[in-house]
Amino acid sequence: MMIESFLERATPIWMSVEDDYSDIVISTRIRLARNLDGYRFPLAFTENEALQVEQAVTHAIKDSTKLQENYSYFAIKDLTSLQRQILVEKHLISPQLAKKELVGSILLSDDESTSIMVNEEDHLRIQCMAASFQLQKAYEQANKIDRILEKALPFAFRDTFGYLTSCPTNIGTGLRASVMMHLPALTLTGQMNQIINAMTRLGMTVRGIYGEGSENLGNVYQVSNQITLGKTEDDILADIQSVAEKIIQKERHARGKLMEKAELALEDRVYRALGTLTHARILTSEEAATCLSNVRLGVDLQLIKGIKATTLNECVVSMQPGFLQHYAGDVLPPAERDRARAEMLREALFQENMSKPIIGEKGEGSFDV
Amino acid sequence: MICEHCKQRNATVTVTQVQSGQKVEHHYCDVCASQFHPFHAEFKQEPVSIQQLLSNWFGSPSWQQQKVGEKQQAQPQPQTCPQCGFTYKQFLKEGKFGCPSCYDTFSEHLPKLFNRIQAGPQHIGKMPGARSNVYVIKKQIEDIRKRMKVAVDEEHFEEAAKLRDEAKELEKQLQFEGGDVS
Repeated sequence: MMIESFLERATPIWMSVEDDYSDIVISTRIRLARNLDGYRFPLAFTENEALQVEQAVTHAIKDSTKLQENYSYFAIKDLTSLQRQILVEKHLISPQLAKKELVGSILLSDDESTSIMVNEEDHLRIQCMAASFQLQKAYEQANKIDRILEKALPFAFRDTFGYLTSCPTNIGTGLRASVMMHLPALTLTGQMNQIINAMTRLGMTVRGIYGEGSENLGNVYQVSNQITLGKTEDDILADIQSVAEKIIQKERHARGKLMEKAELALEDRVYRALGTLTHARILTSEEAATCLSNVRLGVDLQLIKGIKATTLNECVVSMQPGFLQHYAGDVLPPAERDRARAEMLREALFQENMSKPIIGEKGEGSFDV
Repeated sequence: MICEHCKQRNATVTVTQVQSGQKVEHHYCDVCASQFHPFHAEFKQEPVSIQQLLSNWFGSPSWQQQKVGEKQQAQPQPQTCPQCGFTYKQFLKEGKFGCPSCYDTFSEHLPKLFNRIQAGPQHIGKMPGARSNVYVIKKQIEDIRKRMKVAVDEEHFEEAAKLRDEAKELEKQLQFEGGDVS
């Protein structure tokens, strides 16, 4: 497929699944780090070695009859900075891969649930995503691809240290499992710091979805394992599963308490957020993220009806700078982006929220004197 | 004890400073302690990077660096990875290895490192398919050798001979799978 096909959709098809966890868990991601024996890691290799690694990987994928999905290949250097940014915003590539000037490429499955990054920090990063809380499903997919590729590629592996990786924090299984969660009630009631501290002691990390330093943006957190050696894949997945379940329980409990003790205040908060999103003319990404989080909470608690969680997911992705500029078809300075963001969110949420808008875009003209 | 600074509240925090090689202790209450510069500086620091962590654990603290430097001159040259030319010092600086062979070159340092940053020094997870066959056979051979030793110790030579043949058979199979027999 052409790169445009991947840039058009704000949310891929696999995201539109709803289950018992959809009120809290947004998505699940599994990543396997692999390297080819006999080649230096991307940190130290030559361009020629990079090319050889890339050819070996792309051939292995093209030649495999067992990979049912169709994969499209893109070299990072051939993509514009805006295209790279959109792929990062969709979590299809890492910011680190997007920055590569000479080497680095991506193989994307048509449904976008699998992306194979080549020559990022490691030669191969197999990333599989699933909607909501589906660790096993995402892992099975990643494991299947790994099993197929290992037949064609000489993965660097030692009995003692397992799969060898550039950074010792990925050694062993090379497995990173992440669950992306929306935790507004735990944040509002000031329990997140305590949870983050407890997670660290359990060998897990909690980060914001937009990477370091974005911990609170939109109350969305990513819980993932830190330990990759000395545990089996099943142990790692079971640990994340049980920790995430506990957090879900805590978040539900906190939501219940908020509804019990302060329903009116909560209702006021979520409707004010909806008001801002459907009427504001200028929205920074911080304000938009906060408002979307509050509206999502309102939808999950059934205080707001008529807005789908999938619409909100779409808004979260498409309100980011890369997407906004892609839709505008132009490079926008920050102030212009804030205007475009407000317009995009108004359009997305207004129609869904109100069948008969009280003040519509066209109606505004009639107030002119 | 009363806080040295406000001279009002009880001192609950002891701050030890090293001034011109001598230890000096200060006693403050938690309110005053939290206002002092060294604490703020600590809180404001960026999250510790993996490189810093590694250097802190395996490098030497700055006050020891001179001594270590002197020692190193007397010691043989540090190991260098034959494939990528990385030294262990370089690994500590980068926080990353240069190539898969680095793991073989620096293998003696690694268990200590993995004990600290991982759940242990030994991989117990999945292995590549072919490798997993090799691993299973190696385990079987190890097991047979143990049983052979017991049989010899107990002077059951016939059984020991039978086990030796079994082990030889497995070693052939191992060579066929591409594993080393050692």
